[in-house]
Amino acid sequence: MVDSPAGQSLKLEQDLRKGVLVLAVLSQLRTQQYGYSLRQALAERGMPIEEGTLYPLLRRLESQGLLASQWQVDDGPPRRYYTLSVQGAEAYRELTGAWRSLTSVVDRLVDEEG
Amino acid sequence: MDDPKAIIETYVDDVVRHLPRRQRHDVGYELRSLLNEDLDGRAADSGRPADAATALELLTAFGRPQEVADRYRPAGFTVIRPADAPGFARLALGGLVLQWAVTLTAAFTTPAPTDAWIYADSWWGRLTTWWLSWGLGSFWWPGFLITLTLISAAFARRRPEAKPWTPRRTLDRDHVNRPAIVLGLAAGMLGATLMIALPWLAVWAPGLPQPLLDAFAFDPQFLHRRAVWALPLWAAGFAVQTVVLIAGRWDRRTRLVRLVLGLGWLVLLGWWLAAGRIFAADAADGTARLGLLLVVGFVIVDIVVTVRRTPASIRPPVVRA
Repeated sequence: MVDSPAGQSLKLEQDLRKGVLVLAVLSQLRTQQYGYSLRQALAERGMPIEEGTLYPLLRRLESQGLLASQWQVDDGPPRRYYTLSVQGAEAYRELTGAWRSLTSVVDRLVDEEG
Repeated sequence: MDDPKAIIETYVDDVVRHLPRRQRHDVGYELRSLLNEDLDGRAADSGRPADAATALELLTAFGRPQEVADRYRPAGFTVIRPADAPGFARLALGGLVLQWAVTLTAAFTTPAPTDAWIYADSWWGRLTTWWLSWGLGSFWWPGFLITLTLISAAFARRRPEAKPWTPRRTLDRDHVNRPAIVLGLAAGMLGATLMIALPWLAVWAPGLPQPLLDAFAFDPQFLHRRAVWALPLWAAGFAVQTVVLIAGRWDRRTRLVRLVLGLGWLVLLGWWLAAGRIFAADAADGTARLGLLLVVGFVIVDIVVTVRRTPASIRPPVVRA
């Protein structure tokens, strides 16, 4: 089945966003956040991520050793707060460098006159 | 169920059911807390209290419980690679269909056991007996294939790194082994000479005992009408082999001639076998027929191999000016 042009564009855009999702999440976890506050923070900065994608992603990143987490009680029910682990901070630095290089290359490519 | 919190509770239960036991409490507690907070956030945004509709909308967007549970798990491993999937499906289903074809035929052609149930001889009785034995039993084959694939995938995962691709050894199937061709030509010519000389066995070997001479006596009809056609085929075969020997390799033209000669031999041998006796004596005739059937098999294999190795003629596209 062939998608409509609009559906195809949407899917391509989703694939593009999927690639940068981890970097976006890591960028916001330099300070500790819990799932809901992280989603709000990302949405406020123009990067809305569906809950169903974000919450499991946090667990996966933690199991990969990129995040550290702990239960905490502030003003409300206990919440699991996530922050970058040492390994995660290192991965974040590397990913940031790769992202800058990639965007500059892609910028040049898309700005080239055909 | 109108209580939105209860809906979330049920949803969380459905998600954690699909998670490993050690993760269930932790993930369940966190997921429930986050979903409730999301629900409150949505209710605040819409300016009305959280209700069942809002909860369902939130959970629908979140995804089906099984899919959400999948997202919590690390990426699995591939059991059957996409490139292997069509071949695997053909092998699994082909084996199943083959077993069914053979056993179903046997089920309807062999006599029903006399001590079996009274309907064992009816068509549906045979079908039922077959289904409960070979019909269902044949599923061992797909299961066996899956088990082997799983074992192979597990070994592949343990391997630290796949070896880099290297080009496989290129086989030049058109190249010929000249000494082998010379030997083949010599053996072929010797065999042809013996066959041609066989009808005159009594002339060039008069000392042989009469029963032996009688055993190798050809049927006169065969000798005069059918045998003679072997001569042009032999001659053409030797000519092609000589051309290939000189050139040092097969090409499309020589392969096509070989193919035509193979088909010619197939027709001739079929005619020999179908049109009547070859030898006058029964024992010699029966043995010769058996031998010729074997030769027919070799010729068929040679035709198949030649067809596979004959390069397709690739014509250049028509380019419009």
